[in-house]
Amino acid sequence: MRIFRILFFKELKAYFFSPFGWLILAFAALMQGFVLTEALEAFSDQAQRENLVFVTFSSPLFWFYFFVLFPVLTMRLFSEESRSGTLEGLLTAPVQTWQVVLSKFSASYLTFLILWIPAFFHFYLFTILTDVPPPFSKGEVGGAMIAIALMGLLFTACGCLASALTSSQIIAGLVCLGLLLVHFFLGAVTNIFGDTIPAAPLFEFVSSQNHLRDLTRGLVDTRPIAYYLSTTAFFLFLTYHLLDFRRWKP
Amino acid sequence: MIEISSLSKSYGRHLAVDKISFEVTRGDIVGFLGPNGAGKTTTLRMLTGFLPPTSGAARIAGKDIFRESLEVRRRIGYMPENVPLYVDMRVKEYLRFRGALKGLSGSRLRKRTAEVMETCGLTDVRRKMIKTLSKGYRQRVGLADALIHEPDLLILDEPTNGLDPNQIRAIRKLIQNLGDKHTILLSTHILSEVEMTCNKVVIIDGGKVKAADTPSNLVSSMRQAGRVTVELQTPKNEVEPIISSFDEVTRVVGETLQDGWNRFTVFAAPKTDTRLKIGNLAAEKKWPLRALSRRVGTLEEVFVELTRKD
Ligand SMILES: Nc1ncnc2c1ncn2[C@@H]1O[C@H](COP(=O)(O)OP(=O)(O)OP(=O)(O)O)[C@@H](O)[C@H]1O
Ligand SMILES: [Mg+2]
Repeated sequence: MRIFRILFFKELKAYFFSPFGWLILAFAALMQGFVLTEALEAFSDQAQRENLVFVTFSSPLFWFYFFVLFPVLTMRLFSEESRSGTLEGLLTAPVQTWQVVLSKFSASYLTFLILWIPAFFHFYLFTILTDVPPPFSKGEVGGAMIAIALMGLLFTACGCLASALTSSQIIAGLVCLGLLLVHFFLGAVTNIFGDTIPAAPLFEFVSSQNHLRDLTRGLVDTRPIAYYLSTTAFFLFLTYHLLDFRRWKP
Repeated sequence: MIEISSLSKSYGRHLAVDKISFEVTRGDIVGFLGPNGAGKTTTLRMLTGFLPPTSGAARIAGKDIFRESLEVRRRIGYMPENVPLYVDMRVKEYLRFRGALKGLSGSRLRKRTAEVMETCGLTDVRRKMIKTLSKGYRQRVGLADALIHEPDLLILDEPTNGLDPNQIRAIRKLIQNLGDKHTILLSTHILSEVEMTCNKVVIIDGGKVKAADTPSNLVSSMRQAGRVTVELQTPKNEVEPIISSFDEVTRVVGETLQDGWNRFTVFAAPKTDTRLKIGNLAAEKKWPLRALSRRVGTLEEVFVELTRKD
């Protein structure tokens, strides 16, 4: 646990003691502002069937910047260490591989969560600054938080795996983005081909769009939660073995 | 301290290390030599648990490097080739981070950080970013990192690569001092350094061990080591048959120098000394003699002899 803590804080420092973390934070805050503005404009143009949280988190612009965050946050994690050779020093120190994997994952996940503070602060601001009754409920905001946190888990784990695969940051970033897009399109299959195709329930089950839709409507289901937790564990497990191959006996 | 038994490593079809075996006893300073691509770095990486061996086994302080990797890594201070460091950290911050990773904490961490910075001459640059340091100073940071947890065994891959002569001397001194308390396995291409610091040498080539012995034994057992040169005024055809008849002498080659004297090169078996016999012979026969010397080999010649490709 001590080793985990040391590594975790080192990774966290790498995000926030450099311009890098602050740039991503600025980018995320800016995009969150755009998306919210867009949603508010839609509300001012005409009455909306859905609540403000739902409209905000279902715009295409949201998915665009949401998917960009993960490669940017995670591509550096292992690639940079194996390119510069510091991985050799790290793995020949008396540390266990799971400590390395979990500390890097946790630090980038925490950074990701911090990026969302402005977005949820916006909703809070809305209730303070305007005297109109907010077009959303606390439950819907809470649901959106859960959705973001859950998707963040899986997608950060994808990023870790991509980064452990290659010593090139660019390739790691692209692989991560690729994985995320594949996941996204698996979720969109039923929108394109209709829900009468054979594996439709399966596609519905893995669809982040559906999860986000349900949760931003305030519907909390345990199945998506189980889905994200287990897939996250699976991707981290793959990452662990990719790094730990050096202890495999051929 | 280290027992290596038929350790092999292949990268795909390329066999980089081919069943090497040797031992290092506690307190030794061992020079690990070999031409480029011989497999030194690969061997050291296997010992430190960074690469898995393809076959074979090795034990460090009685622990298997593969099954008890964590235990082994606790006892090793390793300085990898080219000294990779986190360049965005400051020197002291980096050493504290590494010390903490290796299990130091509190006042002991503080004390050891100050000590290794002192030993490696880093105190003046402790607040500098590692990326602003020169190569020699980075090398020292790597060495300080290897030393910080007071390991029993130091494994250094080309510790003096790229240093200036003063720094090489300083590091050599440091290694000699460390040798009192630590066992050291170091790979290097600077043979004079090995002659001065190491009490054992392992030479590998093409992934195979070519020699493992003390430097003085290696030098005295090399092929050229028994060779003796004599300068006499006596004609060649008179001298050659007599010296050739000695048991240990294989061949005598004479040449006439510009001033009329003859120089004879006597090829004899290694570890023999024919100087006394030749001297006595010259005295007995009243041959005028002005020079008599035996070839003193160097480790460099041993190295070349063992690893030459032709
Ligand atoms: N990751 C790798 N993949 C494939 N081949 C490798 C790898 N690392 C080393 N080799 C090969 O293994 C052989 C031994 O390399 P190694 O780095 O151990 O040599 P070395 O003795 O350290 O040489 P040098 O004196 O140049 O440092 C070389 O032929 C090298 O090309
Ligand atoms: Mg090498």
